[in-house]
Amino acid sequence: MNKVNVLVIEDNPIEKESLIEVLEDNDYNIIGTADNFKDALSIYLNNKDIDLLIVDIFLGEHPEGILFAETINQLDQTKKPFLFLTSSVDKELFQRAKATMPFNYMVKPFNEYELLFSIQLALEKFYDQKDVFTSEEEDTIVSNEYLYIQKGRSLKKVLISEIIYIEVEGRYCNIITEKGKFVILISLTKILKLLNAKIFKRVSRNFVVNTQKIEEIFPNDQLIVLTGNYKITLSEKYKSTIDKSIFLK
Amino acid sequence: MSPKLVKSILFFFLGILVVYAQEEKSHFNEAINKQIRQYKDLKLLNATKEFYLQKEWDSVLIYSLRQLNEKTSKKEVFDFCNLFRGISFKEKGLLKEAENSFKLISEDFIFNDNINFILAEIYLIQGQSDKALRRYLKIEEINNIEERPEINKINIHHSIGICYLKLRKYNEAEKYLLPTLKELEVIGDTLTLISANINTANLYYYQYRDEEAIPYFEKSYALAQRINDFDKKRKVAKNMAVVEENRGNYKASIKYIKEYDKWKDSLNNQNKIWEVAQFEKRFAIAQKQQEVNVLKAENRAKLAERNGLMFSAGILFLLLLTVTYFYREKLKTNKVITNQNQQLDELNATKDKLFSIVSHDLRSSVNSLKLSNKKLLKNLEKENISVVFDLLKQNSNTVGRAYNLLDNLLNWALLQTKQSYFEIKENHLFHVVEHVVYNYQSIIKEKDLLFKNGVSKHDRVFADQESLKIILRNLLDNAIKFSQPGDSISIYSRDVTTKYIEIIIEDTGLGIDEETRKTLEEIKNISVQERKHKNIEGSGLGLQLCKSMIVKNKGKFSIESEVGKGTKMIIFLPKTPNNE
Repeated sequence: MNKVNVLVIEDNPIEKESLIEVLEDNDYNIIGTADNFKDALSIYLNNKDIDLLIVDIFLGEHPEGILFAETINQLDQTKKPFLFLTSSVDKELFQRAKATMPFNYMVKPFNEYELLFSIQLALEKFYDQKDVFTSEEEDTIVSNEYLYIQKGRSLKKVLISEIIYIEVEGRYCNIITEKGKFVILISLTKILKLLNAKIFKRVSRNFVVNTQKIEEIFPNDQLIVLTGNYKITLSEKYKSTIDKSIFLK
Repeated sequence: MSPKLVKSILFFFLGILVVYAQEEKSHFNEAINKQIRQYKDLKLLNATKEFYLQKEWDSVLIYSLRQLNEKTSKKEVFDFCNLFRGISFKEKGLLKEAENSFKLISEDFIFNDNINFILAEIYLIQGQSDKALRRYLKIEEINNIEERPEINKINIHHSIGICYLKLRKYNEAEKYLLPTLKELEVIGDTLTLISANINTANLYYYQYRDEEAIPYFEKSYALAQRINDFDKKRKVAKNMAVVEENRGNYKASIKYIKEYDKWKDSLNNQNKIWEVAQFEKRFAIAQKQQEVNVLKAENRAKLAERNGLMFSAGILFLLLLTVTYFYREKLKTNKVITNQNQQLDELNATKDKLFSIVSHDLRSSVNSLKLSNKKLLKNLEKENISVVFDLLKQNSNTVGRAYNLLDNLLNWALLQTKQSYFEIKENHLFHVVEHVVYNYQSIIKEKDLLFKNGVSKHDRVFADQESLKIILRNLLDNAIKFSQPGDSISIYSRDVTTKYIEIIIEDTGLGIDEETRKTLEEIKNISVQERKHKNIEGSGLGLQLCKSMIVKNKGKFSIESEVGKGTKMIIFLPKTPNNE
């Protein structure tokens, strides 16, 4: 499980410091900070592993934060969720900010709780998976690369390509990776829908395997051997789908 | 032969001819009518004919001229026109013109005989007896003259007789006149008979055959007694007078002269009467014309008056419209001004309120901080750490309150000027409450209060997030303020109506009496009196702000309270985005 990488763009040193403190206290990784438009853009362009941006609308005297958002919206690079901070509730400024389609905004001053909640809400909105962190039924958002998992008020992420297999137990899913085992709250149907169907295949009622981690298949024994020597039963019902993908490999 | 006699005889030719012409006219007209029927579609020709029948000679001349100017006219139509023109000229006494018109008519025209007849008549009147005679003789030669009703053979003979008489060919004249006389006696046409008698008498008289002539004169005189024609009577009387005078019978002559004078007078009288009648008629016509003119003038005046009235009515109407328009515009402007005034008043009241709060609350907070800081310094010098700790905690509370106040002031001002961003969207009620409570946790703990967030995690409300937080913060702040250590505060939701989610902030604190509760619920704007009243327990701005913001979020607000038992502040917020 990895930390979620946050880029903080804020010009007020005190506010920046408290922001970083709260984020680090809650297990977020600050991948970078910037206090002006130029720096912010260069960090953004040079880091591929940013999970979220927190952008203050006012950098100095001007709403450069909005300009930054407008700029990154123009880029071809993969979009990232961003969150606006503002101490002003000026109508016109808000209209302009809103036009950049932020995934959430926060009016200063805000408390720790509000910040952490807003980050989660921004991810929900960005990946269009509503009522995940805000409900008690689920706790994981699935992106193309990562699973974002709610841990208390914080978030963690798991690289999807590292997943070996998923075992479903009622409302829970056990995620087995090369680095460890996690339990997440998500339904099987939902995770199957969100994961790449070419890579993740259902092999029995309760098991989904990463086909790229398959070491060996024993059709007669109805057995799949995965990386790390995990042995999973291949049920008759799902045999055909697996055969095809193996031949492709 | 005396010149008088000749004159008298000449005079008679005209009389004869007039009588003679009238007799045959109807036959002639009928014949014309028949012929003209084939030209039904020529309107001008038909009009000319109608005017001819009505004897309106001037109109005949005008219309026939127009018909003549029509280039497509046939030869026969052309002849008809000239016929009508000739007759019209003759009737108007323009004999020369008449002659010219007749001469334009082509040789093969169907009515050539009649035209010859009329021409002959014209020549006779003009005294060109030889020309007239030639024409008459030509007519006499027509073969089937018996079948032509429009040509009277007797009259032709009579006319020929007169011509010979005038040409002094007495033998020929006698040949025609005597048979005519006989025939006329058979027919019994008195007027013509008189003329014929006179003419016969003259025939003999010219030849000095007085003995033969006199009986004819006497016959004519006797015949004239039977008729009412004064002119004829006069003429026969004069003839008799001349005859008697020439006979030397002066007595009889005088008698006839007297009679002649009598008839002359009668004729004059008749003429006078006729003239008077004509004059009267003219006068009456003139009078009528004048009346008509007056009426016309009146009509014109009335018309002008009416037009004037219409015009002024129109102008007045336009004026009215304009005035109404401007009046309405003015009313609108007034309304706008009144609204603006009201807004200004409200803003002014807000400004006053702000000033009073700033001057009182904020000043006292800052002042206490100032004092406390001095104390802090002193205690730090003495290194009295525990007192410093307490003072700092106190200070941070003071600053917190002052900050809240400032925040409320700012929000209030923004709300009044409608400058703040306001977006109604779905909110997770539970989390919003959690966010607000987070800042108060230390105070709650410090004041030894019990707090519980009992809001369902499934409840969603539609509201502007920031204003919802301000509302909850203020109400929670109030609840904490009016609670004692050991009291409990809980925030929970109720979803029992279709439109609203109820959010209840309940405390077991001091509570408020009914009167205060009502004033708190009912106040709509901050007024000077209330402000003074409220200064005891706080600014009242917070609650006021809450109410305004709840209204702006299309919600409702109510308070339930009992002194000593606690207070329930209830917020109703819409469940759906378009809660009307």
